[in-house]
Amino acid sequence: MILSSIDASLWQKMLKGGYLNLKRNMTVIDQLNVFPVPDGDTGKNMTMTIEGGVTGTKGDFSSIGEMMKSFSRNSLLSARGNSGVILSQFIRGIAVGSENTQSFDYNSFKTAFESGKEYAYNAVAVPTEGTILTLIREGSDFLNSHTFDDFEELFTSLIKELHRSLQHTPELLPVLKEAGVVDSGGAGFVCIFEGMLSIIRGEEIDDTETLESSNEFVLSSGFDENSVLEYGYCTEFILQLLKAKTDIDAFSLTDLTKKLEEMGDSIVTVQDSSLVKVHVHTFSPETVIAYVRQFGELVTVKIENMSVQHSEIKAEEKKKFAVVATATGEGLSSFFTGIGVDVIIDGGRTNNPSAEDFMDAFKKVNAEHIIVLPNDSNVVLTALQAAQLYEGADIRVIKTKSLAEGYSALSMMDLSVDSVEQLIEDMTSCLDSVSSGYVTTSTRDACISGVEIKKGQWMGLEGDTVYASVDDPLAAAMELFRKLPDIEEKQVITAFYGKGADEEEIMKLEEAFREEFPLIEIGFIEGNQDVYRYIFAIE
Amino acid sequence: MNFAIISDSTCDLNDELRAKYDIDYAPMNYVIDDKEYPAMLNWQYHSPKEFYDLMRNGTRITTTQVPREVFIDKFTAYLKEGKDVLYISCSSALSGSYNLATLVAKELAEEYPDNKIYCIDSLISSFGQGGLAIMASQLRAEGKTIKEVADFLTENRLKMNQAGTCDSLEYLRRAGRVKASKAFFGNLFGVKPIIISDIKGQNYAFKKAKGSLNAKRAIVEHLAEVVEKPEDQILYISHGDDEESAIMLRDLAMEQIPFAGCNIGYIAPIVGSCVGPGTIIGFCYGKEVTIKGDD
Repeated sequence: MILSSIDASLWQKMLKGGYLNLKRNMTVIDQLNVFPVPDGDTGKNMTMTIEGGVTGTKGDFSSIGEMMKSFSRNSLLSARGNSGVILSQFIRGIAVGSENTQSFDYNSFKTAFESGKEYAYNAVAVPTEGTILTLIREGSDFLNSHTFDDFEELFTSLIKELHRSLQHTPELLPVLKEAGVVDSGGAGFVCIFEGMLSIIRGEEIDDTETLESSNEFVLSSGFDENSVLEYGYCTEFILQLLKAKTDIDAFSLTDLTKKLEEMGDSIVTVQDSSLVKVHVHTFSPETVIAYVRQFGELVTVKIENMSVQHSEIKAEEKKKFAVVATATGEGLSSFFTGIGVDVIIDGGRTNNPSAEDFMDAFKKVNAEHIIVLPNDSNVVLTALQAAQLYEGADIRVIKTKSLAEGYSALSMMDLSVDSVEQLIEDMTSCLDSVSSGYVTTSTRDACISGVEIKKGQWMGLEGDTVYASVDDPLAAAMELFRKLPDIEEKQVITAFYGKGADEEEIMKLEEAFREEFPLIEIGFIEGNQDVYRYIFAIE
Repeated sequence: MNFAIISDSTCDLNDELRAKYDIDYAPMNYVIDDKEYPAMLNWQYHSPKEFYDLMRNGTRITTTQVPREVFIDKFTAYLKEGKDVLYISCSSALSGSYNLATLVAKELAEEYPDNKIYCIDSLISSFGQGGLAIMASQLRAEGKTIKEVADFLTENRLKMNQAGTCDSLEYLRRAGRVKASKAFFGNLFGVKPIIISDIKGQNYAFKKAKGSLNAKRAIVEHLAEVVEKPEDQILYISHGDDEESAIMLRDLAMEQIPFAGCNIGYIAPIVGSCVGPGTIIGFCYGKEVTIKGDD
């Protein structure tokens, strides 16, 4: 059956259908909200705006013009949020454009839609494209350049066009692209028209449930049946070396890295005893995986097509800044990676890293300036030497003599600054006031800095100075804090707890510390390091 | 012809200051468990303590812009008396109220062709916005016309400077009302963001400080850098239910900068729900803001 006109009664039902479908998708739309204020309320705002129109417009109307007059006034009154205000002005424009309309035919519908567009654009001082406004404008253009015999066909085609327009919004508004979403207000607009179409088709709208998620407004990946694999796959995995497959002691990370270089680039490999972590960009991830499985099995694996939008394409660009740091222990290493270190060099307990290890790390990061944190007084010179030998980038060594100092530098880092000088200034701003505290056991009887130490006792140290030697780690830590000469000037202590520290001990230490030093903030981070029960960055 | 100065719920001016300077305001709403409360600057519905304790206990509080009918009622009340209206809004980067007010003003202009309505985007919030409203009131008292005052505000609004810090960037992030560079690991333990209002009126965490005392020092350092003629102005400090910290900030600032005085007050519900308890912010007038946050 051809629907060639829409009367007031059907139009009123359609608006209600639009409202119900919007309400159903409210949460989904809230989640898309990143512009202009990403406060996650676009869906709710738009729903409440149109809800005012629906609930405030009761009874029978003889003409669309009359019905829209009431609907428009009520939605204007309940308009909220930016998209809500624009929507209410769009509705107002439709009302003005259909003032003398009895029933919509194609031409009067086009006219009303265009009037809606005019009002919507006038609703904001500076119209931003890539928003609901773009959908309204392109929807209007579409209607003006097509003719239809049937409203069902019109709405079907219009919705298709609105979807196309919506998918295009991230190209117009970078903040959307960055967040990997389409515009939330635009998505809400599409929902309304979809609800209206359902009514034309005589379908029921289930408004009893609110959708929590939907695939409808997911930004398409940009990779379809016509695409070619342009950038390969970003492949990351953790390999557990297996005794059954290889001689673990004889396994060479360097050899593996060399082999991987034949298969791809952007290679990062890290070994922690029998675990090997690998990151590689390759066109043939299956070859890489088949190869490494001769040494063991995969614990975790992640393979991402880099041609797909919002993936790691950006990582291929030369970065302005990169950070290379040493660390020991998986906990500390992953924590440092989490706060911005690009490559971790295993600090090792007995074997200090070589200049070559640093040079290899520099090669792995593609950056203009590379900041180096040696994090050990015995490694500073090595790092400086590597910096002198390396020619591929501007290398800056911050002479951090301990992990605590390295953490302090990282915690003040802001990679968005313009100059490397500013970056260094920020990172070194707190270094003068950092003390490095440790709690560990003594490996032999000794007398250090006037303190008698028995083998196996717990020591509290700052740098090389022993402040305490007692029977339990908690007491060693507290004694260290009490005796530290400049503790009154300190404000923040970050405690990295190592292997052996359980939750109960940490809670007790935290409690004891707060009791005795109420003005100093203390926080705990899992370092999972060997040897040191605690490493304290005391600032 | 005399004119009314109207601000909104984010100006954070208490009853006393609003009475003294004859400043009215259009309330926004805050929402707790789907119930809306007008954000009254006299804390009519929740006391500051109740309000911030709710946040401390994890209650999510959201906000809405000034409702359209509130603008219409507020503006019309003065227009009917034959008065012109000067509305000084919360930064348009933080709230849609400014945009909506300009729409309402356009409509009302048709109804009241003989009256003037000016809407000024303060490009700041809290006592920064309130401070601009007070300056407008002082100019009005000197006999300046509404146009002269509006022009002054447009010309000089970016000279109102903000420097503050908060316990956690989480509230601001959740409310979508802060720009911080992607590399800003603001939630590292003990690392405090220093937040200014940038040239677009957006909150911007432009640097960080280790520890809350250092954060206060960094705030004072920033205020000292941007302030002009401190002896002719009052330092405004607003806080999210942490008067002790506000007093510490005042003492540090007054030691270093010869302000004529200091006014300490609560951050009212709207800004409060976006910044969270423990926030302290200092405001002063001086050099024009030039810092621009990331887009």
